[in-house]
Amino acid sequence: MGGPLEGIRIADFTVHNAGPFCTHMLSQLGAEVIKVESVMRPDAFRKPHPVYGRMGPATFDQVASTKLSIRLNLKKKEGVALAKRLVAISEIAAESFRPGVMARLGLSYDVLSTLKPDLIMLCISSSGQTGPDSGFAGYAPLFGAWGGLSGLTGYADGPPVEMRHVMDHTVGLNAAVAVMAALQRRRMTGQGGLIDVAAREVASSLLGEALLLAAAGAEPTRAGNDHPRMAPHGIYPAAGEDCWLAIAVRTDAEWRALATAIGEPGLAEDSRFAGAEARHANRAALDPIVGAWTATLPAQEAAERLQAAGIAAHASWTTAEIAADPHLWERRMIVTVAEPDGKERAAVGVPMRLSKCEQIGIHRGTPKLGEHEDYVYGELLGMSRAERRSLEADEIIY
Amino acid sequence: MAALIAGLRVIVNASGVAGAYAGRLLSTLGADTILVEPPAGSPLRREPPFLPDCEGVSALFAYLTAGARSLIADPGTAEGRAALAALLREADILVDDTPIEDRAERGLDEAAIARHFPDLIHVSVRPFGASGPKAGWKGEEITLQHASGEGNLLPNGLSIELFPNRPPVKIYGHFAEMQGGIAAALGALSALWARPEQGGQCVDVSIQDAALAVGAFAIQRLGDGSIEHRVERSFRYGGVIRCLDGYVELLTLEQRQWDGLVKLLGEPDWARDPALADALERSRQGPVINRHIREWASTRHVADIVRDGQALFVPLAKYYAPGEVLHDPHEAARGLFQRVEVPGAGMLAMLVSPFHIDGAPLALRSGPPAPGNNARARAAVEA
Repeated sequence: MGGPLEGIRIADFTVHNAGPFCTHMLSQLGAEVIKVESVMRPDAFRKPHPVYGRMGPATFDQVASTKLSIRLNLKKKEGVALAKRLVAISEIAAESFRPGVMARLGLSYDVLSTLKPDLIMLCISSSGQTGPDSGFAGYAPLFGAWGGLSGLTGYADGPPVEMRHVMDHTVGLNAAVAVMAALQRRRMTGQGGLIDVAAREVASSLLGEALLLAAAGAEPTRAGNDHPRMAPHGIYPAAGEDCWLAIAVRTDAEWRALATAIGEPGLAEDSRFAGAEARHANRAALDPIVGAWTATLPAQEAAERLQAAGIAAHASWTTAEIAADPHLWERRMIVTVAEPDGKERAAVGVPMRLSKCEQIGIHRGTPKLGEHEDYVYGELLGMSRAERRSLEADEIIY
Repeated sequence: MAALIAGLRVIVNASGVAGAYAGRLLSTLGADTILVEPPAGSPLRREPPFLPDCEGVSALFAYLTAGARSLIADPGTAEGRAALAALLREADILVDDTPIEDRAERGLDEAAIARHFPDLIHVSVRPFGASGPKAGWKGEEITLQHASGEGNLLPNGLSIELFPNRPPVKIYGHFAEMQGGIAAALGALSALWARPEQGGQCVDVSIQDAALAVGAFAIQRLGDGSIEHRVERSFRYGGVIRCLDGYVELLTLEQRQWDGLVKLLGEPDWARDPALADALERSRQGPVINRHIREWASTRHVADIVRDGQALFVPLAKYYAPGEVLHDPHEAARGLFQRVEVPGAGMLAMLVSPFHIDGAPLALRSGPPAPGNNARARAAVEA
């Protein structure tokens, strides 16, 4: 595959979204990720669930792609012993259970690092491994709530807005950075280590400036689409049902260009809008003028016209529009993935291009449960067919 | 203090949030990070929000550059290019967000960097990346959220129920740009890992790509034949619930969590309807269930609901304001904040990092730099 992480093996005990997204990033960068599940306890997101009111497709395929899958029943002590053998031949062990679960299974960092002293263990949880709330259960919307991000998101006169899987995945993306930093330390010093990532703190890390304002005595509040200085700045109506255009004007030069682009060059001389401060103060008068122009055009056309004039503008894209974008296809951010049943679907790649590793990204679709046991149990752990059959009969490889 | 990447030198030549945030992440993990600023100072110093009761001190700049040192150099001049080159000769990673069209004249194009600094990890961070038909497009936070999917998909839940006809609403702050920064840090460390075999290389990061990556499920669902829309992606029950003194988030995905919720509600008759034992039926009856939950919560305090609910394993969280995060006993116990000197504003508590390493929080080396405070880098340049 030729990714930068070729040769790195990860024993992946993570479930749901945040942890699996971390190992999903690392697998696309070339790491060999072995996902551990069991028939009794498949990843909850491997199954359809009715969270949006339909037993629709689960959200598993994207983050499981390019990983290897084995069955391993951690409820049995022989299963735990086998998990230890897997960790012993891995550089990294990753988990995202509630704090304490791995220790109860006999798979804590203290135990595993005696088997492999330079092991890097990643623990992802809602509130971290320590602290009074460490036992709290959580999902993405709760991380955003606790962390303060959701409380600052929303219309100024409305309630907070829930974060969805972007919150989980931000946790995973951050965790991947920490894992790479720990690998770097291991290379320099030979030392492994324990990484504890608290999802709610990842949410907080996205509003560091607001937290600093609070520390200085201010009380930041929800502001909808407003920017503290830029105007025009917001989401404007475009031609068509539920079609929108995002515009942000940073400088006076951009403002003058916008005035010309929307066929109102006289606006540039209007004292109400002379300078960023005046435009911001008078944005209630300014926004309808801009909106009257945007409403006459398809969002894509308006965005292209404004970009040609040097203004940051973009259509508010639906998922279908993103999936059809030639720019994203050329950058291999949208790729076609073939599933084991032969069906193809669009998927999202790894968000970077490396000049000497062009092959990074998704190479396989979703693994079937236990699809790679010949390789993992047979080749890597050297187990015989008979031994494996016996463990299957005892519901250990199960 | 666990400095995982101590000994690494990172040069940040960035005027945008994404590049600066990549530098901040690497600095907090232990790298020696130097911010290159033009003579007028980084444009980020002039970005709102500003700290109260002090003259033009940007809270955003302070957060993004804590731990870094500053060197004044203008790559638009020969002298500035020489200063930057002196820095790059001793650096491991360059994070650069110079517009593509300006790079060659500043000696910052991919080929020139590769030629002069063959072992350098050259991380380019641009709104739409350094390659592809839209590489030259301008981007600001709000346009990037809408170029990458999540912009069109918010709000959901209670907010869209109350305001179904309003335009979509953006995520607070610099969500997309920070994803670009996190992806840039990941790319930098990944390329660094391969450096012994591959030497230096260029990492091309696009903020649009990074924000799309964290929103990947919408694309998966599209491939599975299901199109997400902000109205339909609301939870059928639970979600944002208004209480006496604020909002609580409630989300039950597992049966035992629902069972816990029924207990929390006091096992009312409506919740004991045998039909509600089925998860799909609960979804169908979501609006009815939510009416009951909202009525119940409206006379209770958030803290009581969260405490009692979490004891029953019901996923519940308070919607915290920034001040509540700052003073949260849990975060105090975990050392999420550290007091640092912010020039012009004094000592302030600043968020450090969401990571603990080997059982301890990370630490900031310092607050944000005063312009050109980097005596060591200046000496290297002058030498």
